[in-house]
Amino acid sequence: MEPEVKDLDIASLVTKVMDELGSTRDAVIPILSEINRALGYIPAAALPEIRRHIQAQQKQEGVFVADSHLYSAASFYQMFSLEPLGRHVIRFCESAPCHVEGGREVFDTLQRELGLQPGETSADRKWSLLTTSCIGVCSVGPVFLVDDDLYGNVTPERVPEILAKYQ
Amino acid sequence: MISLTINGQTLEVKENTTVLQAAEQAGIVIPTLCHHKDLTPYGGCRLCSVDIQGMRLPATACTMLVSPGMVVQTESPALTRYRKTILELLLVRFYDAGYKKTNGALKPELDSQFAYWVNYYGIDMKKAMAHEPFRQIDSDPNPYIWVDKNKCIMCTRCVRACAEVQGRFVWTQAYRGYDLRIVAGADSSMLQSRCESCGACVAHCPTGALDNRMSVKLGHPDRTVTAICPYCGVGCQLYLNIKNDGMGERVISVDSNAKAPVNGDHLCLKGRYGYDFIHSENRLRRPRVRKYLLEGTPRPANRGPWVEADWETALNIVAKKLASTRERHGGESVGLLTSAKSFNEENYLMNKLARQVMGTNNIDCGAHMIRGSIVDGLIGSLGLAAMSNSMDDIANNARSILVIGSNITENHPVFGTRIRQAVLRRKAKLITASPIFYNIEEYATLAMRYKRGSESALLNGLMKIILDNGWMDSKFIQERTQGFDELKAAIEKVDLAHVSQATRVPVEKMKQAAQVIAANRPCSVVWGADISHQGANADAVRNLANLQLMLGNLGVSGGGLAPLRSQNNSQGAFDMGGLPAYYSGYQPVAEKQSHKKFETAWGTELPSRPGLSAPEMMYAAEQGALKALFVIGGNLWSDETGMLTRHALENCEFVAVCDVMASEGSHYADVLLPGVSFAEKSGTYTNTERRIQLVRKAIEPQGEARPGWQVISDLARRILTLSGRAPDGSYAAWMYATAGEIMKEIAALTPIYAGVSHERLERGDVLMWPVYSYADSGSPILFGTTFPVGKGKFVAVG
Repeated sequence: MEPEVKDLDIASLVTKVMDELGSTRDAVIPILSEINRALGYIPAAALPEIRRHIQAQQKQEGVFVADSHLYSAASFYQMFSLEPLGRHVIRFCESAPCHVEGGREVFDTLQRELGLQPGETSADRKWSLLTTSCIGVCSVGPVFLVDDDLYGNVTPERVPEILAKYQ
Repeated sequence: MISLTINGQTLEVKENTTVLQAAEQAGIVIPTLCHHKDLTPYGGCRLCSVDIQGMRLPATACTMLVSPGMVVQTESPALTRYRKTILELLLVRFYDAGYKKTNGALKPELDSQFAYWVNYYGIDMKKAMAHEPFRQIDSDPNPYIWVDKNKCIMCTRCVRACAEVQGRFVWTQAYRGYDLRIVAGADSSMLQSRCESCGACVAHCPTGALDNRMSVKLGHPDRTVTAICPYCGVGCQLYLNIKNDGMGERVISVDSNAKAPVNGDHLCLKGRYGYDFIHSENRLRRPRVRKYLLEGTPRPANRGPWVEADWETALNIVAKKLASTRERHGGESVGLLTSAKSFNEENYLMNKLARQVMGTNNIDCGAHMIRGSIVDGLIGSLGLAAMSNSMDDIANNARSILVIGSNITENHPVFGTRIRQAVLRRKAKLITASPIFYNIEEYATLAMRYKRGSESALLNGLMKIILDNGWMDSKFIQERTQGFDELKAAIEKVDLAHVSQATRVPVEKMKQAAQVIAANRPCSVVWGADISHQGANADAVRNLANLQLMLGNLGVSGGGLAPLRSQNNSQGAFDMGGLPAYYSGYQPVAEKQSHKKFETAWGTELPSRPGLSAPEMMYAAEQGALKALFVIGGNLWSDETGMLTRHALENCEFVAVCDVMASEGSHYADVLLPGVSFAEKSGTYTNTERRIQLVRKAIEPQGEARPGWQVISDLARRILTLSGRAPDGSYAAWMYATAGEIMKEIAALTPIYAGVSHERLERGDVLMWPVYSYADSGSPILFGTTFPVGKGKFVAVG
């Protein structure tokens, strides 16, 4: 896969983000979050950049950060991606309440409509289909997110019309 | 003290004790997996769960602190079921491919801690584990460490060991849920992720997911012998695992042990994995002599071809040559180079051989070819040339540490990691000064880069700043030192701009460094090869002593001067009289009293003028004044001294070398005597902090190789017989049955070793010299109330 973003851009993005959020270890999660938001994923080259900034700032205090620390955080959270994703990212709730309300049928339809397995990105880079744990709106389950848009009380029949909204 | 009850047994323990530690004190075993005594409690595996009265659910004993009146039950049918379930759940995501020869239910504790508990709770591992591998077996290319994540139970002991022992942060937990796994760095290879291959993660792994690559498939050892690492001056204890593979006994692997006094469960790459030389094909297994020596013809220019010979022939040749050289040209025409790799006992005998048998003070440690400044620098200022404070003391108590001219994490890795931990865990301030980048700098509060050779000037600059600001310890200076006014006068003339020009360290940086050192006392000063490798750098060493005297950092815990000795027995070689001007224990040859004492003990006249140092011997050989050389354990050929030694050795009429392998230097030898490695003999080493430690013979010598102390004694007897001499004195004889007997002689003649014996060491006594008597337990910190020179001497250095 060709690189989505050039290393140079990553370095300047990291600098910009860290200037805003502070170059400290405490700020790692907001920093990762901001990079993920800006690029749609956290490129591998961003981690050593973040490390260098924190090190320069906090070395005097005896704070030490390695790439492993950053990778641990970046790989843990489901809202972060370590791979480039499609232009639109679907996050389907796979927790129990959505499941009992007919979530499985909705998810089957999503997979069929998009021709994607969970975790995959389409060849034209339009769609990524991901699963997620509960997003806190069980009262309107089954639910999924397309980018930042929330869809509740979804039925298999509504899936094509929702997908059609996105270019 | 807190009183609590465990399994009906009432006991008193200190505050902040965990339930697990309390149970251990009472001799009660609680099963654990993620717990390790050297690592931060984690409470992850839950196997140590116990019932505590008043608590609804079992609690993890490794993280639960005791409280007054606590009632703990560590065993019950419910807890057994609970633990069994934990193990079964772990086994769901565990697969053992069976490449390791295991002992199954017979001795599962030898397989792994995990296998032991699985077996203990009556689980059939093969039935309960996953049915196929779910990750690649052997998934990392690290040449020393074997990674099989199928066996990982996510206890995170490797993650914690890498962070809290080695300070490298290679391993981490990544992903979550079913995907949770350990990864190196950003899921790359270990070596790409800052790994130094120390093997701490292997030593701490309870399952065998991380293992030693070189021995992973060799099965269990037949037996294990405790030894001391043969590499650097730190003196780590290690455990040699020995197995008879049908071709004789071999060292198949090296382990660390949490009980080791210097290093605990830690070793470095060299100690843990650098053992294959013991069985190397390149070992000398039979004596070799040059053909001309057997034929009685003149020596050809290139010394001619080698011929293997028996010991009798080889030793007779060496004895005859040394004896005849002494008779024809006098003792001063002979030189002896002793070894920082050989035992104390062997170094002592070399000192006796030189002085008593050969009648020369031309004895030095081969390693002195390029270093000698420590003795010259420290003896004058303080009276003793050794590390003043123990490594433990520096790592645990120094508030700031100045590491100057030392690539400490490569040259003294285990101590280097202790300094990293002092920074990471207790926020000690680390200042580094070095001519090039060394890894320890990553952990430094402030790093200075100076021009090689300008250490002394840099220290003058720091002292100038300290004096200008009144940061010196006036009380200490007044009570414990002499010569301050002269030093002060000299330092006042120092111009910081000039210092900056000479050292290339900006004035501002020097000011910051001086400020940190002055504000964070006690400060410990640690230095290494960059300073001690240069003969002329005795001045820098004097200046380091000046700095510490000025700051009052001597004789206190967490302070001190720490010259790090390069080799495992550099300190011992000095201590044992491997020096041209001193008998063992720094008793000067030129001083009447000690001269007389050794003449009486060894029953012969001894030369009273200091002899030639190693470089001086090389020069004398080149000039033709030094005719014969006897060298034990060490390659004279190094990058720094190449030309000098080559010309000298080429010109030397007779060179005999006793070593484990032939080396570049052997090209210039006439006789090569096969010595044994540390694994094949018993004796003592003295580490860089003056700690005397016992090495136990683990395997039989390779081929016909013999321990150095036997070779030296044999030679001495032959030379004395040839020259018809029979010295008569209480310690004149050369009959030693064991190295322990030699230590008795050392103790009798060497005040600072007077209380050292193999029996005491075997018993586990911690002995750091000076040990003045068998009742004395030694001194981890020197100069507590006085210096051997009385008051510490300031010596101004231009």
